[in-house]
Amino acid sequence: MNANILLIEDKAGLLDTLKSLLELHDYTVFTASHGAEGLTVATRYLPDLVISDIYMPVLDGYELLDRFKQDPQLCKIPVLITSAKNDPQEIEDVLQKGAAGYLTKPFVFAHLHEEIKRLLVRTA
Amino acid sequence: MDSANHVENNALLSNASNVIAITAHEFKTPLTTITSVVDLLSAKLKADQHMNAFYEKQLARITTEVFSLNSMVDEMLTINNIVSGHIEAVKELIDLSNYVLPLKEQYHAYIEDNRQPEIVLTGTPKKIYASPAQITRILTNLVSNACKYSRDKAPVIHLDYQEHAAVITVSNDGIGIPEQDLPYLFDPYFRGSNTAGIAGTGLGLSIVKSFTAANNGNITVTSSPDKGTVFTLAFKYPDTCK
Repeated sequence: MNANILLIEDKAGLLDTLKSLLELHDYTVFTASHGAEGLTVATRYLPDLVISDIYMPVLDGYELLDRFKQDPQLCKIPVLITSAKNDPQEIEDVLQKGAAGYLTKPFVFAHLHEEIKRLLVRTA
Repeated sequence: MDSANHVENNALLSNASNVIAITAHEFKTPLTTITSVVDLLSAKLKADQHMNAFYEKQLARITTEVFSLNSMVDEMLTINNIVSGHIEAVKELIDLSNYVLPLKEQYHAYIEDNRQPEIVLTGTPKKIYASPAQITRILTNLVSNACKYSRDKAPVIHLDYQEHAAVITVSNDGIGIPEQDLPYLFDPYFRGSNTAGIAGTGLGLSIVKSFTAANNGNITVTSSPDKGTVFTLAFKYPDTCK
């Protein structure tokens, strides 16, 4: 599988580790350290999937989901949100805003990979 | 206490509660980085054909400890929410058997020798009015403890639909709780005087007690050192709730 994935995460250590893990599994990975940068990268490369943190500087995950929904080119790209919050209300809010999935931190890569495969199959 | 001091103390408590909530959430990103680094090392060792049983065991141990630390952070957050009044039980009519029966499979792998918790149901099923999320939290906490402390026999979970209340007992044949510890068992951060070397935060039973009370329930405990412990939960049916 050689899908293109955009990773948006403001913690450099986590961003770098997840990028290496995804590349080990043959994905092509683009990265961004906040939502605004993520939006620019997404518009330029039109990835197959976006994995994004929710609480980030400049432009957070909620705003990112809104911008994706309003953009005819980006609105079909699934966005998987990862967050430290395990609050059912927050999960529902994020899904209502258009996220394709929600993964609570901390997670193991196997779980993230299952979600990636599920979302890529869904949009194939 | 005069009203100015009272307001000042409430503001301090609220600030402290927010600091705890923010800090606890901030812990989770480094925990995710650690599990991801472990996954990356594991994948690299396998790809380079250097993985062996020793590396596998030690890497798995790091991940287990990370999730154990994460559970402690979650318990701290829950207690913080309870103390600051931010917990609201969203209740509905539920049949407790739907929450008790899955515990058998859920905890099958938890006990090292693969014993399964024994589930007993008696009486005519009747629904209670409670929060599904909080009932799940109560049961998983008590059954995890029962599995952790049980010795020869697997824990027994008995749901008995009595006349005015649904009663659940969770029993184990563990080390028991010394009599002098029983009055403090549900206090936050209290740990039994015979639990040295056994992992735990001392927050779980405090959460269980708060959630049980929030769902029109009551919890009691009886215990004999070296024989075992029985926790008894009683949830009144809606028409008998005062």
